[in-house]
Amino acid sequence: MGDALPRTAAPPRAMVEVAGLRVVLPPDTVALDGVDLTVLPGEFVVILGRSGAGKSTFLRSLNRLVEPTAGSIRVDGRAVTGAAPAELREIRRHIGMIFQQFNLVRRASVMDNVLAGRLGYVPMLSSLVGRFPSADRQLALDGLAQVGLAHLAARRADTLSGGEQQRVAIARALAQSPALVLADEPTASLDPRLTASIMDLLRRINVERGLTLVVSQHQIETALAYATRIVGLRRGRVRFDGPPAAVTAAVAAEIYGEDDA
Amino acid sequence: MSRGPAAVAFVAAVVLGWLVWDTGADPVRLARGLPWIADFLRRMMPPDLEVLPSALTGALKTAEIALLGTAVAAVLALPLGFVSARNVAPAALFYPARAILNFFRSIDTLVYALIFVAAVGLGPFPGVLAVIAYTTTSLAKLYSEAIEGIDPGPVGAITATGATRLQVLRFGVLPQVLPLFLSYVLYRLETNIRAATVLGFVGAGGIGFYLQTYLRMIDYRAASTALLVTVLMVMAVDALSSRLRRRLV
Repeated sequence: MGDALPRTAAPPRAMVEVAGLRVVLPPDTVALDGVDLTVLPGEFVVILGRSGAGKSTFLRSLNRLVEPTAGSIRVDGRAVTGAAPAELREIRRHIGMIFQQFNLVRRASVMDNVLAGRLGYVPMLSSLVGRFPSADRQLALDGLAQVGLAHLAARRADTLSGGEQQRVAIARALAQSPALVLADEPTASLDPRLTASIMDLLRRINVERGLTLVVSQHQIETALAYATRIVGLRRGRVRFDGPPAAVTAAVAAEIYGEDDA
Repeated sequence: MSRGPAAVAFVAAVVLGWLVWDTGADPVRLARGLPWIADFLRRMMPPDLEVLPSALTGALKTAEIALLGTAVAAVLALPLGFVSARNVAPAALFYPARAILNFFRSIDTLVYALIFVAAVGLGPFPGVLAVIAYTTTSLAKLYSEAIEGIDPGPVGAITATGATRLQVLRFGVLPQVLPLFLSYVLYRLETNIRAATVLGFVGAGGIGFYLQTYLRMIDYRAASTALLVTVLMVMAVDALSSRLRRRLV
């Protein structure tokens, strides 16, 4: 519908367009207080901020796991805000999501966890009895291969280490054939060595697959090492938006607010 | 503040005293009755093994009633469990479902048996119906509590893939709760075996029918055989079921 409107700006079309986003979490916590942000295709955006700054709420608003209170969100040109349930599912299947706690189904096999990434595409009734078309199984296997865990497909998810579980979660997101991948503190539960390997993996899918990434981080060194663009959130507002090179000590203080810590 | 415990203790003592008086609880009367119990036990010895075949037949019937009733209830309780779980059911379904379940769960299996014997006649069939009626509502309650206790993380992750509500239940919720469900079903099977032993008292088939008949005929040695068979069967099922349940959790 909105796609028919004439575009004044030249390409490239934005991957994420957020305008005036405000989220009030029950009962009355203002998590986001007027966020405007445009993300272009292929960017590796890291949302920086301390815990409680609204990073997680921002990411979860983009696929409406959290319901925005006001403002508008478009992903890949489609209106997320106001989308009816069926349309919202259609939008969601193009958005992969990775979580701090991995959020795998612990008792299910690695393969079944990755196959879940195909749920938005496969016929609903046969999926309910656990049948997936072979093309979708192949996409799941490809995702597992990309994260280097194809040999663990038959294992139960909770028998894997934390780093491996996060790789499975990334494979699940890749199996969605996404245009955009959201990662909510993907390394906060992992040690420094695993942090580097997970962030390397995210960079690889950003470069090799050309996927747009929006990743939240509370660790500034990691953010600066991987991002092509840094967005600093503090108390639900964007306080900085620019390349990693522009993040000075003063900017960090502005984002983290050492003054009132 | 310090008067709190004393006041509670005083009120409790008054209530208990009244309960003892109102129910006619009397240790002296119990002491006077003890010889009668001893006499009763003496007359039960030795068990009359002549009736062993019919006692075993009755026990088997009881196990069948419990098994069929529990199996059907385990399935019937599934949709009810989901619609009465706060975190997955829409409020429009949740509140009426909870209310209806709480109402029917307050009726015991034996009461259901009386109703079904009146409706369909004597035999194991009304027993099966009674087990189904009670177990369905009680399992639905246990299922819904298991669903309410799940980790919401995977549910959010599955939702984020663009899955439908049913797919989220199937892939995000069901794998988390299925082992618990099976464990609850086995636990219910144990209690249903016990419950089904008395169903025969009201004409709903099984070992209870034999036990009651022997007692009425004042054939205490036959009754003791029926009792022993019952105890052994309940213990066997308990042992088997708890071993299975340990492997599930």
